[in-house]
Amino acid sequence: MSGTLEISNVSKTYDAGGENPVKALDKVSLTVNQGEFVSIIGPSGCGKSTLFNVIGGLIPDYTGEVTIDGHRIDGTHRDVGVVFQEESTFPWRTTLNNVAFPLEVQGMAREAREAKAREFIKLVGLEGFENHFPAQLSGGMKQRTAVARTLAYEPRIMLMDEPFGALDEQTRLLLGDKLLEIWSTLKQTMLLITHNITEAVQLSDRVVVMSYRPGRIKRVIDIELPRPRSSEVITTAEFGHYVGDIWNELREEASRGMADAEEKLAAR
Amino acid sequence: MAQTGVIGTVSGLRPRITVNTIRITTIVVLLVLWEVLAAVGRSGLLYKDVVPSSIQIGLAIIHEIFDPAFYHHLGITLAEHVVGFTIGSTIAVTVGIAMGANPFFRKMIEPYLNGIGSTPKIIFLPILFLLFGTGIESKMAKGALSAFFPVVFSTTLGMMLISPVLLRVGQTFSLTRRQMVSKIYMPSMVNPIITGLRLGMAIAVIGILVAEIKFSNGGLGYRIAEYYDQFAIASMYALIIIIFALAAAANVAMTVLQDRLNIKQGGSATRNAGLGAST
Repeated sequence: MSGTLEISNVSKTYDAGGENPVKALDKVSLTVNQGEFVSIIGPSGCGKSTLFNVIGGLIPDYTGEVTIDGHRIDGTHRDVGVVFQEESTFPWRTTLNNVAFPLEVQGMAREAREAKAREFIKLVGLEGFENHFPAQLSGGMKQRTAVARTLAYEPRIMLMDEPFGALDEQTRLLLGDKLLEIWSTLKQTMLLITHNITEAVQLSDRVVVMSYRPGRIKRVIDIELPRPRSSEVITTAEFGHYVGDIWNELREEASRGMADAEEKLAAR
Repeated sequence: MAQTGVIGTVSGLRPRITVNTIRITTIVVLLVLWEVLAAVGRSGLLYKDVVPSSIQIGLAIIHEIFDPAFYHHLGITLAEHVVGFTIGSTIAVTVGIAMGANPFFRKMIEPYLNGIGSTPKIIFLPILFLLFGTGIESKMAKGALSAFFPVVFSTTLGMMLISPVLLRVGQTFSLTRRQMVSKIYMPSMVNPIITGLRLGMAIAVIGILVAEIKFSNGGLGYRIAEYYDQFAIASMYALIIIIFALAAAANVAMTVLQDRLNIKQGGSATRNAGLGAST
């Protein structure tokens, strides 16, 4: 399983020929190497979701090129596994059957897929909850189920859209530890989309700061905090420097986004 | 189970005992009031036999239960119900899914459905008698018509409320069209369809009984009308109580069934959804 993602000169304009064209992405170029953990951070309206959908193959009509291990993306494909921010576990399936889902649709025999699902359930720390339904789990456990399900798909690249965005800060920090543990075991390429600076610094090798509309890459910051890293890292001075550095880049963008949103509300 | 247990363990047994006490007291009070009314009736202040004593009604219930004619009429009503409900709900589920899947079709047909759906279906009774005669066919048609609306609305709503995130999950896992239907759409629809079926079932019974009382030559509604015509009031009450008991039993059975299916999803939000159903 390889997993190098190359994004070169990707642009996307919504309503291109219409009255109010919105340039969501403007010539975005980024390479994520195999086994690397990269976060993309930016204010609302920076084109994060558009980029996410382009990589996931959900927006086939973009300009530029996105390749995974050399193959161009132009439609839904099996190379990327996605974890959504919203609750995405199937409420009618147990943890075991949720995690086995991608294997089931691929036609894997019951015993094989359940054995494999159990491995990933163990990996995300949900042993003992195999036969629970999502309604019987906490928010963090549901998101771990979703992570395990996507891992079981064995994608070349894990694409996570604010996977812990709906959880409280403490749970989020602890799940970050869990995610790093899984990442170091599987050596999976990870691309995380977030607007949480702490989360980006805690987890990533590199943090990509994006500008407010049109979405461009403003700066790429290498996070040279030691690995293996635990959530204790947030108490160190270096961590604080990185957070401050990123916020300096982001503040202007976030202010522009906020002013824009308020202007729109005022015009209504 | 995780959810239903909470109230019981937190607040102990006392509220449950209180609720049962109130329920039993209510029945006792109503029975006493009834007997008072019956006594007043016997004294000549009311028409004789309008309020028969509960003992008379009790005897009539026993008589009814051992009367083969009762089962003959019960069979007719059940047959009308099974056929009418099956036809009506099958069409309703099909139309509901089509409406949910195709916004154009939904926009086209929704105003008509809303219009007819909010009309009391009893006004169509004369038309059904004209079209299908006064036998069991018109009752089946009435059952189908009554069952159709709750099922079609519930199914359409269920289709529209399918989680878009779950559909995107299916997309990112590269599900085929057929897999999208069998693995995501169908399981998502189990609950709304069952809720609709349960309501439709109850409303179809009402529709059929009304049609039988109005114009028929068999069925429980016919038998009620017959007792009324013969001024066999105790027997009429007896039959009403039996129908009430049957309906309550059917409702409990449906609740248990739905809760079974719901436990799979860990919830019981749709409990008692059909209790308030009327024509």
